[in-house]
Amino acid sequence: MSDSDASALTSRALAAIGQAQTEGELGRIEVEYLGRKSGHVSRLLSNIGQLPAAEKAALGKAANETKRFIEAALAARRAELDASRLADLAETEAIDVTFPGPPLGRGHIHVLTQIRRQIETVLESLGYQVELGPEVETEWYNFEALNLTAGHPARESWDSFYFSPDLLLRAHTSPVQIRAMQSIKDPPIYIITPGRVYRRDPPEATRLPYFSQVEGLAVDNGLTVGDMKGTLLYMIQSLYGRERKVRIRPSYFPFTEPSFEFDVSCGICGGVGCKSCRHKGWLEVGGCGMVHPQVLRNGGIDPTQWNGYAWGFGIERMAMLKHDVDDIRLFYEPDLRFLEQF
Amino acid sequence: MRISYEWLGDFVDLDGITPKDAADILTRQGVEVESLTMVDLSQIVIGKVLEQVKHPKSRNDLWVHQVDIGSRVQQIIAGAPNAIPGALVPVALPGTTVPNGRLVKDLNIAGYRASGMLCSAAELMLGEDHSGILILDRGTPGQPLSSVIPSQAIMEAEVTSNRPDCMGHLGIARELAAGLDRPLKRDFMPAFTGTAEPPGRDLVNVSIEDPDLCSRYIGGVIKGVKVGRSPDWIQRRLRAAGVRPINNIVDITNYVLLEYAQPLHAFDLEKLEGPAIEVRRAREKERLLGLDGVVRELTPDMLVIADARRPVALAGVIGGEDTAVTNLTKDVLLESATFSGPSVRQTSRALGLRTEASARFERALPPELALAGARRAASLIAELAGGAVHRDWADVYPRPQEPVRVNLRPALIDHVLGTHVPLEESESILRRLNFHVKVMGDGEWDVLPPVFRLDVTIPEDLVEEVGRVYGYDRVPPTLPGRRHETWTPLSPSVDRRLDDVREVLAGAGFTETWNPALVSGARLEELRIAARAMPVSNALSDEMDTLRTSLLPSLVDAVALNRDRGRIDVRVYEIAAAFLARVGEKNAQPEEPLRVAAVISAAASAEAGAETLRALKSVLDGCVAALSAPTCTYQRAAAQLFHPGRCAAVVLDGRQLGYLGELHPTVTAGARLEGRLVAFEIDVEPVLAASRIPRAQPLPRFPAVERDLAVVVEDIVAAGALLLAIKESGGELLEHARAFDEYRGAQVGEGHKSIAFTLTFRSPERTLTDAEVDKVMSEIRRGLEKRHRAGFRE
Ligand SMILES: [Zn+2]
Repeated sequence: MSDSDASALTSRALAAIGQAQTEGELGRIEVEYLGRKSGHVSRLLSNIGQLPAAEKAALGKAANETKRFIEAALAARRAELDASRLADLAETEAIDVTFPGPPLGRGHIHVLTQIRRQIETVLESLGYQVELGPEVETEWYNFEALNLTAGHPARESWDSFYFSPDLLLRAHTSPVQIRAMQSIKDPPIYIITPGRVYRRDPPEATRLPYFSQVEGLAVDNGLTVGDMKGTLLYMIQSLYGRERKVRIRPSYFPFTEPSFEFDVSCGICGGVGCKSCRHKGWLEVGGCGMVHPQVLRNGGIDPTQWNGYAWGFGIERMAMLKHDVDDIRLFYEPDLRFLEQF
Repeated sequence: MRISYEWLGDFVDLDGITPKDAADILTRQGVEVESLTMVDLSQIVIGKVLEQVKHPKSRNDLWVHQVDIGSRVQQIIAGAPNAIPGALVPVALPGTTVPNGRLVKDLNIAGYRASGMLCSAAELMLGEDHSGILILDRGTPGQPLSSVIPSQAIMEAEVTSNRPDCMGHLGIARELAAGLDRPLKRDFMPAFTGTAEPPGRDLVNVSIEDPDLCSRYIGGVIKGVKVGRSPDWIQRRLRAAGVRPINNIVDITNYVLLEYAQPLHAFDLEKLEGPAIEVRRAREKERLLGLDGVVRELTPDMLVIADARRPVALAGVIGGEDTAVTNLTKDVLLESATFSGPSVRQTSRALGLRTEASARFERALPPELALAGARRAASLIAELAGGAVHRDWADVYPRPQEPVRVNLRPALIDHVLGTHVPLEESESILRRLNFHVKVMGDGEWDVLPPVFRLDVTIPEDLVEEVGRVYGYDRVPPTLPGRRHETWTPLSPSVDRRLDDVREVLAGAGFTETWNPALVSGARLEELRIAARAMPVSNALSDEMDTLRTSLLPSLVDAVALNRDRGRIDVRVYEIAAAFLARVGEKNAQPEEPLRVAAVISAAASAEAGAETLRALKSVLDGCVAALSAPTCTYQRAAAQLFHPGRCAAVVLDGRQLGYLGELHPTVTAGARLEGRLVAFEIDVEPVLAASRIPRAQPLPRFPAVERDLAVVVEDIVAAGALLLAIKESGGELLEHARAFDEYRGAQVGEGHKSIAFTLTFRSPERTLTDAEVDKVMSEIRRGLEKRHRAGFRE
């Protein structure tokens, strides 16, 4: 055994490595030369025990160098092979990336839930707390407490479903306002009352005997019509964009004084008038007003110390405005072809 | 209410104010103008008919007219025979578009040239009458029609129920006058009174039986009238407002109704027995032949006007045919009364008969209006139909209208509106609306509303009056400044907390539905879930006559609906209240448990049903876990709607929440559905109540050991019971146990099954040795043998 043996071994190995085309070949070469028991390099040292000390050292050194050379050559060749494989990926592993994925099968959250969630979120950001109440109400909470006594001409608009003379399906969520005033007792009160309501109107494209409302109530010192207007404007702009305008128009409800309808500028024509707003430039959204002193009294609040404003609108109406839905019945007809659009 | 712009001009100067301007002012002040229709009559010319002959060849009845239109004579063919020679008629020449939208062309009809069209009132949008050509009572041939009939603008307005005074043109004009700050040309109370002797009250005997239902009855006597056609301007205005002209007396009563909002009625005095007027409730079996030709049976809750013998009118709703004014009538009893709103509404609803009169009485008219209306009508009758109006009418007025005074601290206006309105401006607005304002020494205002404004009773009402005329668009939007030491911290709403459940369900492919709470009671009966159902006493239809006691039938229908529309795999859910009457408490509000219910469709095989049930159970467990509540347990149960062998009660902390299972085959078949349906329905409030904030557990530091165990037991032993036994014997080292396979067959023997479990062991303190795990495994085996006579398979 000599240096020349070692260098011959090195050049043989380097030649083999240089010709190798795959990782498999390199692996075999690695075992052939560097294998612990029967590799060529190990065998170089097989007789080392019988050699004199000086030769021992020289041979050990040569063998180590040979091993380092081969290892370095293997690593370099591996790097070369890797680089060329990665360079070819565009051809070797190409697939049709335009092929559509399988259906996700995700379920959808009802569009009315989504709208209700948005409304709650916006009003919660102003410090309003959600309050809920029963859907089957007493005559007192649904009507009397709101100045809608029997025989009142305005009762026409709140034609209701009855179970007995005193028990009915609530015609608005206003009873929750009364209940909340009674339970919270001490103003300031800032609440919203979302929920299902019922009116005895035959089903048609624009109205149903059942629908959903969000009403709001603020009771505090020195609240003004301007505060109410600002609150509605903040809500509408948060939901529909800051280019929207709000108009309040005098109207009449027995439970507020003064009373208003509130309109939102048409999103299609921007308020100049078009077919979808019936050339008015405005879309009717809901009613609002300053809470009637008697209604505050009915809720246990002293109207000489506190005043308030309230509003109400239909969630369906808001969804129709936002998503261009033209038939309210679609919301309550569980047709997946409709529900999956949102 | 239909408003004629031209008519408003009688009461307020509309110089420079277009119909659109007027509509905008009214809308801003609270009388919402829904639509505005413009009728331009300047393109229509006046013609004089010179000659009229029947078309000799046409099979239809057609007449050929020679019409003088000033500059020349046109030949015009028409289908109505009333344009006789000498008549003045509206002519639309070829090339003109008639107000109703029709374009007139030169035509040739069976050999005769037709150069233009003679117009009916309907074609000119002057009314509904299209039975004949509109005949004019004046005008010069060749002049535009607008020289005798002003171009029209009709507003359709919505009047709120508190403003009966705006149900007439005078009230609307007052609103405009206030908005424009122009004077109102007419006083509310006409000065006219009759002078003929003897006093009217001696000519008819009027009595009111029930003052609650009639607070005032005025009966005016006018003798020697000449009944005939009313003048064109009256007819035109009636038509514009949608009322058909009849004769001058009836037309005048309608005219005053449209002007003052006070309904009136004219009786033929000679046909009234007595002559007497009794305002009383109808008696059993009494009948009335109405002006509309319908005989109606009356009931004692209806108020009638009767003479000495029988009802002659249904108070505030419709007059009787027998005593109506006809062309032969000479003497008239003019009725102007105030009937109770609720009573008129009730009668009108009971009979399904809504008239111009009832629509006004329903809103509670002020009794002072009755006198104003009576005077106005009497003066018109005297002017247009002749006749002597007798002095001192019968006027039974048992409860005179009390004047209401309202004290206003004017600062309230600024405080409520949130902007500064100068005092002079507020005062001016109130005066323009006919309120009397007296400024007191201490700065308070003593305000007297006009007699026709019964709706104004509190200071806030006055703020509204000022605000709406001042203009709410001038109030700047602000947000309330909250300067208190107290507040309520925000807590998430129930619905927002349930969004966690919605996320789980959406991820599992379930779509949320909103279904009506009103369902068919018969269907609930059929499904045997009607025991605590609440039926509606005035339902709109059988399909919506009862409150649902379960959300599941709606969801079954949802599957059926989507199957009909081509979906095979349907997964739907709903979150809503069910309604359960309280047993034994008749008039109590029901329980309204908030529920989550889901339905998923499965194939028809028994295995498919079982597999789907397990899948849905994972979904339900996921929902409960998402709310951070403890895991539910399941116990075999029987429940309506569910399959008797495949139903589990869902239990949380010992409390039953509802059921999970396959739906009963009859429920599925009842909805005409193939395959199986698997469902759950649970009360969600207890889950929310059991929700806890999750506390972080330290991550495991030592490896786990997994062992499988195949347990052979009798068929009736439930996997849930085995799991319970495993957990009890497993002690602290058993981290988790899960069933993963069930086997029945030859290898385990008849009446038995094998359930395979994967058990995970771990110690928080050390790596477990095989020996330690073996020891616990044998504990578990012993426990299962003892409790469930279990055997084990390798
Ligand atoms: Zn528009």
